[in-house]
Amino acid sequence: MAGPPNKRQKREEKHEGQMPQKKFYRQRAHANPFSDHDLTYPEHPSAMRWSEHYPHFVATIPAAVPKDDPIATRDYNEYYVARMEKRVEVADIGCGFGGLLFALAPRMPATLILGLEIRTSVAEFVQDKAKALRLQQQQQPPASAGAETPPVPGGYENVSCIRANTMKFLPNFFAKAQLTKIFLCFPDPHFKARKHKARIVSATLNSEYAFVLAPGGMVYTITDVEDLHVWMVEHLAAHPSFARVAEGEAEGDECVAVMRRETEEGKKVERNGGRKFVAVFRRLEDPAWP
Amino acid sequence: MQHPFQCIASVQLPGQATGEEYLAAACGPRLMLVNAGKGIVAARWSTSPTNATSEDKYDEAEAGERPAKKQKTSNAASHAPNIIKLTVSPNQQYIVAVTDDKFIHVLEIVGHGELKELSQRCMPKRPCAIQVLPDNATIICGDKFGDVYSLPLLPSEVAPIQDVEPGAEDGEAAKQEDPAFKPSATVLTVHSKRNRMALEAQMQQKNFTAKKEPLKFEHKLLLGHVSMLTDVIYATREVEGKQRGHIITADRDEHIRISRAPPQSHIIEGYCLGHTEFVSKLCLIPGTDLLVSGGGDSWLGVWDWPTFKLRRKFDIRDAVLDVVEEVAQRADMDTTEAIKQADKSVVVSGLWTAPFTNAKGKQEIALLVACERRPSLFIVPVSRLMLKKDQKTTQSRIDYPVLDVACVGDRLIVSVDGRRDGSPCLRVAQLHQAEETKGEVLSEKDEEMEAKLQCLMTSSKDIPADDKALDDLLYGVGNLRKRRGWDAPGDGAGGTEVDPTSMPMDPNHTEVVEVEDDLTVRKL
Ligand SMILES: C[S@@+](CC[C@H](N)C(=O)[O-])C[C@H]1O[C@@H](n2cnc3c(N)ncnc32)[C@H](O)[C@@H]1O
Repeated sequence: MAGPPNKRQKREEKHEGQMPQKKFYRQRAHANPFSDHDLTYPEHPSAMRWSEHYPHFVATIPAAVPKDDPIATRDYNEYYVARMEKRVEVADIGCGFGGLLFALAPRMPATLILGLEIRTSVAEFVQDKAKALRLQQQQQPPASAGAETPPVPGGYENVSCIRANTMKFLPNFFAKAQLTKIFLCFPDPHFKARKHKARIVSATLNSEYAFVLAPGGMVYTITDVEDLHVWMVEHLAAHPSFARVAEGEAEGDECVAVMRRETEEGKKVERNGGRKFVAVFRRLEDPAWP
Repeated sequence: MQHPFQCIASVQLPGQATGEEYLAAACGPRLMLVNAGKGIVAARWSTSPTNATSEDKYDEAEAGERPAKKQKTSNAASHAPNIIKLTVSPNQQYIVAVTDDKFIHVLEIVGHGELKELSQRCMPKRPCAIQVLPDNATIICGDKFGDVYSLPLLPSEVAPIQDVEPGAEDGEAAKQEDPAFKPSATVLTVHSKRNRMALEAQMQQKNFTAKKEPLKFEHKLLLGHVSMLTDVIYATREVEGKQRGHIITADRDEHIRISRAPPQSHIIEGYCLGHTEFVSKLCLIPGTDLLVSGGGDSWLGVWDWPTFKLRRKFDIRDAVLDVVEEVAQRADMDTTEAIKQADKSVVVSGLWTAPFTNAKGKQEIALLVACERRPSLFIVPVSRLMLKKDQKTTQSRIDYPVLDVACVGDRLIVSVDGRRDGSPCLRVAQLHQAEETKGEVLSEKDEEMEAKLQCLMTSSKDIPADDKALDDLLYGVGNLRKRRGWDAPGDGAGGTEVDPTSMPMDPNHTEVVEVEDDLTVRKL
């Protein structure tokens, strides 16, 4: 269950393909990352049904498969998990209302991008928006027939969102070295010293980001709270699996520009004339065993 | 009422003769070392009553915004803290005991089994697992906040206080608490009343004694989960002629994680995933690459841990329900109802291995399994763990719930909760396999040694025991189970900020156990 019934009702009143409205999906700002929410997550990454999120990327079973082949019959098995052509490679952790996701999707149409968000209704908003955008794209007349806006590369089929507490369950969704990019945009600051373990960047959690990231993969961070920036830089740079990317190189990365401009928080900070602190880190190869 | 022995461990003294085996046994706040062959208590050591107030102060300041919790802790009278974990260093020279006031005590075994306390160190959170590494110089300790620390077995005199983070092994200490962080909370908006109170508590946080302050000694943070850790084990494996060390950690959120050992404990090698309920115990099978895990699922995980593959789910449901049925029958209770209740709540509380001589006269290993509050020890020869289809366990029916097991020589000492009727709390058995039992392992009572161990009961008669306190001390594993099917309070709320502690609860869930901020299991 998520959100009071009246909001839920309002949400469901909209027609298919109509853009969801944020006001029907608002939720109190802080969810406790330590508590047992009624979360759903696969017991193992291989049990995750990605087909529900990226139906366009489901691997097709060759027509010639004989009837008694297990892959033909497993369709009827409730535990059957469809095979995918692609795996998720880009994760936006704490994606909020998904501004970054929808800006990134057309820029990498062949890459699966996933937002992870702990607040139920906020995650639902992103899912509903992805569906609506996909439908809009499908219903658009081809450019040749005089469409007002050109079609978006990938048609938003490569972007989705799940409700998840990433601080606990990242390894349930992603296998070792699966990801190439992780975004940590405007994380909640958790000022109190005793809440530092609640921060999305910490010495011990960084090991989990390193685990799901392939060597050479990137962690992008941005915040308007300078102390949090200092904290994230200190903890990621001190972690032997990461090295900070020089500022010049980072500024040349298109993802950095998009992250500054397109995140909801980034826009808010812009309006208020605030500063944005960016830092990018590269996942290093693991050293040999001692 | 007899206070049972919550933890036991075997100790081998240098040059000890056969029949002179020693056992360390914890009874409430008291630790005793007994010569099991002779039936003589060689040494006794007790925790001393802590100054509960200063201890509470720390918790208060730390818990800050939760006044309700404060009252609870300050009620805890200043009695001596109980021992909750016990381990012996591989060289058998030191006993490490953890007490429920979060202290790690290191005791040296001197002379003919006397105990000398060398140090006591306060950890920031309650330790849940502890081990002395094969170097006989390092303790690793996992806590309920999810972190694993290493500390020297014998603390050095100079006390470096700086925290050292994972990977920063070269001594270049990264700061954990950024001092530049505090002022920012005043500059930026601190919204809620709770936040304000926490800030105030932080300001008042100065006045506790240095001794009670955790981590004011050499230590390293090796790794951490954002979950309650339940078990931690150190495992080595030979690869290309070299020993590789690993730390295997289990948590309440169904995870088993395999990390490299220090100095590379920041590297996660993989996860053994497949449990759908909490994991409470891990057990390595000697001489194999098998890891057995148990917890809230009605099966044991049998893993090939170097490849993280689940080889087998070894079902224990039927075995447990058999015991439940028998107990209900004996008590003249409704067996159907008892089974229905128990079916949903298999809780593995202990896993051990023990050697035995098989029917062909060869040495083999058996896995021993205890389930919380069930009066039985389940025995599986490890050669059967991998046999397809075979789910058979032998039950060693013991009339009381099993608390801990230790192997002393070729004997198995089983600590049971016999608080009620003065029957022995330490049972002694020998495992053997007979031809006619088709591979089942049987246990045979050793009355002689059992009688000798009675001296421990005599030496602990004075320890106060009451049912409520004993249940809290002995049966915590079942509380790890999550109550699913409802939203966490405060989570489903709309745009307004609501104090989650004041949310009305679903009346159908009056006894909801939720893990709050500091990962303590709290009854709402
Ligand atoms: C300040 S918002 C930033 C949203 C978005 N990244 C942006 O830049 O506009 C931080 C988000 O992280 C989410 N979050 C916090 N802890 C989380 C966790 N453990 N797992 C997933 N999401 C989390 C919050 O619910 C919130 O939506």
